[in-house]
Amino acid sequence: MMHLLSKIAVTAPSLLAQTEAPAAESRELTGTFWLPEAASTSAEATDFAFMAITWLSYVFFVGIVIALVYFVLKYRQRGNQVVYQADAPLHNTPLEVGWTVLPLLLVVAIFFMGFKGFLDLSTPPRNAYEINVTAYQWGWSFKYPNGATSSHLVVPAAQPVKLVMRSSDVLHSLYIPDFRVKKDVVPGRYSYLWFQCDEPTGIVPEDEMATTATGHHLFCTEYCGTDHSNMNRKVFVLAEADFEQWEEEQARWLDKVSDEELYSFAGPRIYSKCANCHSIDGSANTGPSWGNPTSGSLAGLGEIWKRTVEGSTPVTGGTKGRPGTTLADYIGSGKLYETPEDYIRASIYNPGEILVGGFGPNMPHFRGQLGDRAIDAVIGMMKNLDQFDAAGKFVGTGG
Amino acid sequence: MSTIDASTPTAVAPAAEPVDNYLTYTRGFLSWALTLDHKRIGVMYMFSVLLSFLVGGIFALLVRTELLTPGPTIPGVDANLYNQFFTLHGAIMVFLVIIPSIPAALGNFVLPVMLGAKDVAFPRLNLGSYYLWIIGAICAVASLLYGGFDTGWTFYTPYSTTTSTGGVIPVVIGVFILGFSSIFTGINFVVTIHKLRPPGMTWFRMPLFLWALYATALIQVLATPVLGITLLMLIVERVAQIGLFDPAMGGDPVLFQHFFWFYSHPAVYIMILPAMGIISEIISVHAHRHIFGYRFIAFSSVAIAIFSFLVWGHHMFTSGQSPLMNTLFSAITFSVAIPSAIKVFNWLATLYKGSISLNTPMLYGLGFIFLFTIGGLTGLHLGTLNTDIHLHDTYFVVAHFHYVMMGSALIAMIGGLHHWWPKMSGRMYNESHGAIGFWLVFIGFNVTFFTQFMLGSHGMPRRYYDYQPEFQSYHVISTIGSYIMALGFFWTAYYLIASLVSGRKAPSNPWGGRSLEWQCTSPPPHDNFKTTPSVGDCYDFSVVHWDEAEGGYVVDRDADPETRSAH
Repeated sequence: MMHLLSKIAVTAPSLLAQTEAPAAESRELTGTFWLPEAASTSAEATDFAFMAITWLSYVFFVGIVIALVYFVLKYRQRGNQVVYQADAPLHNTPLEVGWTVLPLLLVVAIFFMGFKGFLDLSTPPRNAYEINVTAYQWGWSFKYPNGATSSHLVVPAAQPVKLVMRSSDVLHSLYIPDFRVKKDVVPGRYSYLWFQCDEPTGIVPEDEMATTATGHHLFCTEYCGTDHSNMNRKVFVLAEADFEQWEEEQARWLDKVSDEELYSFAGPRIYSKCANCHSIDGSANTGPSWGNPTSGSLAGLGEIWKRTVEGSTPVTGGTKGRPGTTLADYIGSGKLYETPEDYIRASIYNPGEILVGGFGPNMPHFRGQLGDRAIDAVIGMMKNLDQFDAAGKFVGTGG
Repeated sequence: MSTIDASTPTAVAPAAEPVDNYLTYTRGFLSWALTLDHKRIGVMYMFSVLLSFLVGGIFALLVRTELLTPGPTIPGVDANLYNQFFTLHGAIMVFLVIIPSIPAALGNFVLPVMLGAKDVAFPRLNLGSYYLWIIGAICAVASLLYGGFDTGWTFYTPYSTTTSTGGVIPVVIGVFILGFSSIFTGINFVVTIHKLRPPGMTWFRMPLFLWALYATALIQVLATPVLGITLLMLIVERVAQIGLFDPAMGGDPVLFQHFFWFYSHPAVYIMILPAMGIISEIISVHAHRHIFGYRFIAFSSVAIAIFSFLVWGHHMFTSGQSPLMNTLFSAITFSVAIPSAIKVFNWLATLYKGSISLNTPMLYGLGFIFLFTIGGLTGLHLGTLNTDIHLHDTYFVVAHFHYVMMGSALIAMIGGLHHWWPKMSGRMYNESHGAIGFWLVFIGFNVTFFTQFMLGSHGMPRRYYDYQPEFQSYHVISTIGSYIMALGFFWTAYYLIASLVSGRKAPSNPWGGRSLEWQCTSPPPHDNFKTTPSVGDCYDFSVVHWDEAEGGYVVDRDADPETRSAH
């Protein structure tokens, strides 16, 4: 897999620019004064409408302000005495009808411009490439027809792409400014969004995706709670052949990892999905930390594997009819979970059943996203947490 | 109508005053707390609303300061706290400040005097609505003790029914109660305008501010109950777990949006219509010039009120509502643009051949035209379907509605406060201080919010604690602007308070107005008018003269053909 990524990276000139100038902090806005880079086939129509309305606004605004300033200067009253002009008109029907009808005609034209563009935006072409999207607090899961999943959006260039979107908790909204597209993701409904981008952007290795300047921004634009502003991801556009290769690798990579490397290599990659809420160094976050026994919001809980085995962790919200106050009440032969591994798998597939004390039921489930080998990799990583640094990078037993 | 004062009989006005005024008519805390005088209720509203404005403004400054840099900026402010900041800012400014500011505070004071009535039709209901406002505000404050709330002022489900912050129910109850306060004020104004007009005050002789308040009151009465029932449903879902909006329980979250905006879009016009009314008054009085196209302005108020009920869906173009609905809502939305444009053109034409005094209220009036034009024109970008898809829920929307809700509605309120300040307080403030305050607010406002148009059109989403580094320079400019604006408001508070202590005594008619409130003394007597006032053409300034001895303007009634016949 590394081999493929480096190969794609070499073919992506923008990535080279990125490696030469890694100063991501001083990034500038792209595009024009008003609009960002236009990267989709529908952006042109939207931008035309935007600029047409903007120029119309300039004309009206400048006209109104000039008239305002001119009248104020010309008819300014010096001193206190009113200078009354008896011939000042009280109304003027032709003028008033005129400034009613002219704006009316203009807005009718604007309406049709927007209407036509909107019809194109809301009608996905039949041959569109479909990607399933699940939005959750606080991230995205993109699932491809061959079973591949990704937390950043990777799409083929030069063909229409249709996102079939659903939410597993609250409202979200998927927005790609460079494509001028946006659609709410509503729990209990499916919604569609489509676009076509002709220009490949290249791609970067997975652990650099969050910070790279390569690719287009993807934002959540419907307020969804704590990490609403951290649901931003990247869109990478790949030429067709590169895309197929990426999709294939993405679907199969876990199978190719050797059993020995499963926790050290696959673990951190999967952990990147968890990192938003679960820290490794024990620092407070939305979910309980995986690591550090001494520091953190719930001091003394111990590393995740230790506290699962020892079972002294306080829990809340136990399943009905099974009262208990610590993990030990639920883990063990004859109890709710036979083994600690069972508990961890259940917490990933069906979170909210048993909650670590002090945390709310915020975690989305990962059924259908993480298979047995992925769960194995996560559990393996938890068992050997001392071999990883705070960012989840494998540093081995020496570190 | 009766203007019974509830104070104790012993607390009568001092006999030494030849003309009583409502401020000194009776004394003591209870004489204010239990007053039925619309002017005192208006002053109490004004004080409460301005206090809320201070609190909402502090939250705004916290939000802007936090956004100086991407990621954490203020030590100790994390994403959860920031989410509470912008939620509180929005909820306070909408429900406690802008909606009651003009109708309940200024309207209460001005409407009966302008109309020539002694009070509103139902003085007790009026006092009741003030106390409902207080109870609603207390509920909102109480929500902070229960852990605050982080839902955004829109309370969108299912987030608002599932979020772990405990203050959601208290604040929703608070907004529910505030809704009744608003409904009662609306009913009061409708009945007052229908029933308490003195002889000669025909519908088309009413000052345009009254037309605007009338149209506003209709919206308050018709739209606010929908908000009430929606919020009750939200409470029912959160408490009793009955699925109305949450799909996990068989509800529909988009239904909540329909209900919410069915109120909250007309609510935008509860904010802007009375503001337009104030501007019609300020422009014509300070330009000493008959308002141009009176009937067009009056009818456009009513037209806007009617259209306001038919456009709520334009808040939901990306929500998954059907493309046909989007198309219809977009089309109807543009129809609101027309009456708004008419008003701007009419105000401009009113300046033509006027006699323009650049007093502080007039600066605010002209500032309003400037800001409302920007707010209105950028509304075109958002009403247009394909551009709204790009701009929806970005800072472009934030900038647009601040230009309309703050740059227009609140600026008009501040302008109206300056316009009627001599009447309310009996004191003149320092004019050059007023001009400094205006320019600080005006420049600060534009620096703060114009930058946000560019932020939004480049894709910066709203309600973000953290943002991409390329947006930072605009955010820094915007924050600096907010500090300038804050300075302007604190300066304004300073010279207005100073005027109470050391201001020159206000004449009856400091600006040269013709409507009835300028006929009574400043401040007005308890009963407003000792005798039924004579109603002339309230926009005929040919008979207005400066009187040096009076220190203000006088209306030469004998020269006025309309009032002469009434003598």
